[in-house]
Amino acid sequence: MNRQIRQLAAGLILCYVVLFVALNFWQVGQKEELDARFDNTRAVLREFNKPRGPIVTADGVVVARSLTNPPGSDFEFSRDYPAGDLLSNVTGYFTLAFGSTQVEREYGDVLTGSTAAQQIRGLGDLLGGDVDNTGSVQLTLRHDAQTAARFFLAGREGSVVVVEVETGAVVAMWSNPSYDPNTFVNEDFEVARDVISELQEADGNPLLANAYQERYMPGSTFKMITTGIGLETGALTLDSQFDRVREWVPPQTDDPIQNYRGSQCGGDLAEVFRRSCNIPFAQTAVAIGPEGMIAGTRAWGLDEELPIDLPRPAGSTFGNTTDLDQNLPLLAIRGFGQNEDQMVPLHMALVAGAIANGGQMMKPYVVDATFDHNGSALDRTSPEVWKTPLSPQNASIITDLMIGVAESGTASCCIALEGGIPVAAKTGTADLGLGGGVDQVHAWIVAFAPADDPEYVVSVVLTNLESTAAEAATGGRLAGPVAKGVLDFLLTGDGAG
Amino acid sequence: MTGVDLLAGVDEPGRRGDSPLARSRRNTELSLVVMAALITGSAYTIAALGTNAEIPPGIVVFVAFLLGLLLFAHLVVRYVARGADGTLLPLAALLHGIGFVMITRLDDELAGLQATWSLIGIAVFVGTLLVVQRAGDLARYKWLLFFFGAGLLLLPMLPGLGRNINGARIWVSLGPINFQPGEFAKIALAIFFAAYLAERRELIAASTWKVGPLHLPEPRYIAPILVAWGFAVVVMVGERDLGSSLLFFTLFVVMLWVATERVGYLLLGLVLFAGAAYFSWTQFSHVQTRVDIWIDPWSRSLDRGYQIVQSLYGLSDGGLTGTGLGRGNPNQVPEAQNDFIFASIGEEMGLIGGSAIIMSYLLIVGAGLRTALRSDRPFEKLLAVGLTTIIGVQAFIIIGGVIKVVPLTGITLPFVSYGGSSLIANYILLALLIRVSDSAARRLGELPDDPTISERWRAAQLARRNRRAARRGLPTAATDAPTIDPDAAIGDDPLATS
Repeated sequence: MNRQIRQLAAGLILCYVVLFVALNFWQVGQKEELDARFDNTRAVLREFNKPRGPIVTADGVVVARSLTNPPGSDFEFSRDYPAGDLLSNVTGYFTLAFGSTQVEREYGDVLTGSTAAQQIRGLGDLLGGDVDNTGSVQLTLRHDAQTAARFFLAGREGSVVVVEVETGAVVAMWSNPSYDPNTFVNEDFEVARDVISELQEADGNPLLANAYQERYMPGSTFKMITTGIGLETGALTLDSQFDRVREWVPPQTDDPIQNYRGSQCGGDLAEVFRRSCNIPFAQTAVAIGPEGMIAGTRAWGLDEELPIDLPRPAGSTFGNTTDLDQNLPLLAIRGFGQNEDQMVPLHMALVAGAIANGGQMMKPYVVDATFDHNGSALDRTSPEVWKTPLSPQNASIITDLMIGVAESGTASCCIALEGGIPVAAKTGTADLGLGGGVDQVHAWIVAFAPADDPEYVVSVVLTNLESTAAEAATGGRLAGPVAKGVLDFLLTGDGAG
Repeated sequence: MTGVDLLAGVDEPGRRGDSPLARSRRNTELSLVVMAALITGSAYTIAALGTNAEIPPGIVVFVAFLLGLLLFAHLVVRYVARGADGTLLPLAALLHGIGFVMITRLDDELAGLQATWSLIGIAVFVGTLLVVQRAGDLARYKWLLFFFGAGLLLLPMLPGLGRNINGARIWVSLGPINFQPGEFAKIALAIFFAAYLAERRELIAASTWKVGPLHLPEPRYIAPILVAWGFAVVVMVGERDLGSSLLFFTLFVVMLWVATERVGYLLLGLVLFAGAAYFSWTQFSHVQTRVDIWIDPWSRSLDRGYQIVQSLYGLSDGGLTGTGLGRGNPNQVPEAQNDFIFASIGEEMGLIGGSAIIMSYLLIVGAGLRTALRSDRPFEKLLAVGLTTIIGVQAFIIIGGVIKVVPLTGITLPFVSYGGSSLIANYILLALLIRVSDSAARRLGELPDDPTISERWRAAQLARRNRRAARRGLPTAATDAPTIDPDAAIGDDPLATS
């Protein structure tokens, strides 16, 4: 029998060798293929079951947090967004099956305590029995300012962005429509999938943070940039004079350019800027020339992504510039913000911010600091200059021009602040052409205050408005009150600190 | 560690006659058992750190209790089976310990129950060693064991008693207690096979019955065992317990082959197996499902293939070194604490941990078959082969099922999986293997073949009776009764044929 027993031993050994080889195959050989399979949720799940710290606004309101589920639940935690739709475009969401976005995505390792710094600090605590290693993220955004922005936009489609002039810190960034992450983050796969696909197809793209991920034709607000380039290149001075005309035929065409609604408009720089004449800025753009305008707009940060600390930012654009020298009429029209010009609402706030900040355009940011679970800072964002499109002198010239707009120009109806705080502004009404028999426009205003010592710059755009002869939708009349409301709140109202 | 005589100076019965080899076996066992306890204690701590980031509050008590329990088992082996292989108990303790850590990490509630089962398991192990003092004695009860085993197998079929769980009717409910009688039945039937084959193996191997070109054993010699086997397989197929049927079939074929030394039985077994497999594949939808999932689990990764696909994802996530105990998501796999516990180990302890488990079974198989080789009595040889085959094949079937080497059939991983029946049955099996190993060592002269406790008692009784009889001037009892002379080979073994 001993021979058979030895053979049996050999057979069983062979069986176990097969097991060992198979185990190697799955755990090492096929590892990458298996880990990458679409229905493999291990990696996400590992992340999902980690405790996750809160996201807190600058004024101390928790806007994203993890709640411990009752024992026996499928998952240890659920993610909660107490502010609903108010800050979802900044916090983003964190889901099991549909990934994560915005701060939840970019700062996931801080929130779960996975950064090297937290791991090292956590080691000491582990021995002391302290179990929590999660971090927290403090936003630059203020819950109260965001609420004010939402209040003054009053449910209309559009965006409101408030940026701190000296730092580039984003104080408020609201776009309507928005979405409430609580409607899907803790739901079952099918429910979550349905809610998300509904949001993806909804009008106005609620899942997109339009304030920094979408761009719109800027209209006359673009004249700040044309003026800036003109002053920097010398094509424009405070003494520049423009003929009072109704229309002007640019080179290379017979088709004339008109002012807004065909009005007669002209005078010195202060007057044409205040009244927002189109023809002078068309002429300035042509005078600067295609090369100068392209280089100039680049200096203002156009045609590149916004350097914000959130994922997938949009970039503003001066449009297609190939053979622009053969298309001077387009160059002329782009000089006052029509044709292919497209600006991101946040970028527009940065443009005015550069003017308010002595010519320096700051990098925008939404995360002020990150903290470990003991509350000591891991990292603080220090303000950085992104572009310097203007000299301080020219910045101060344009500031004066914009004060004129607010005091006696296109914004004078609606922007005067409480307590007589001086304010500087520029309006814009981007004409999108006819849509369904009525003019479609974007109504813009960009304003900063106090004009003599700027603190905040606000950019407002109301999108896809219908404009009729009887009731013209203009940036000053429609967007102006939103900007005024927000600035009043921040400077003299409940939000003044 | 093996060279240190940890119990030097401790007085033990018959110790002076032991060969150094036999003595070192016990000390090897002691140090390995301590190591198994320490590994389990460390793993327990690490798993708690991984899940809750805290050192378990009762860790000192846990390790002390574990050590105490294992030392108790070791001391019993040292006293009543001190010639046995020194690796069997530590290997079982290691597998049991790692399984317990994994179960604790998967489900706190089950951990409490499993702790109770562990206690009972060790108690039953000790009890088995004390009751079965001579492996050969078991052969006398072969028919009793056969009917006992058959009865156990039939129990779940009884209405009111049997319970269907996860499609298999292998459970019995007696009041608050649920158990799987099949776990015990396979041991009883293995003993029966070993005894029957040891007795008749030459007659079966003789194959004097000629049917055409075939030489078959005399029907009257082979029939009882075929009936026994067919009965067991039919019952288990009827209960939809595919894993046990496969295990039982293999056990029978292997034992028949080893006993008769005729490879034809092995080939016949393979043919029968292929036929049975094909038949059940065409007839039973649950068998077809198992095979389909085995061939391609990926296209059904969200329904029927979910378990195996999640198991493979877990293994892959673990990779070479594992996610770390308590740091993976083994609960993604349904039944992680039972049939799929190997996937949990592979996920959290990686290829290294999984390989350690595989190696442990291989070492148990090695120790078991070495016992079979060392033994000079056919019954004990076959018993060791049978018991070893049960453990080795059962672990292969379920590990292979979890890592898609063979179709998945529900069966527990010996010593590791959650479950009282399985654990207790495996400890009985381990005790029997240790007993056989001890008997073999004694007959090889590695230590004196002392009389067992019951033999001493009987001898003392006899001596008392003889003294009483002598006082009354009556003739004394027969002299073939067991004596207390330690050097005399005693114990009647009617089955010793060689």
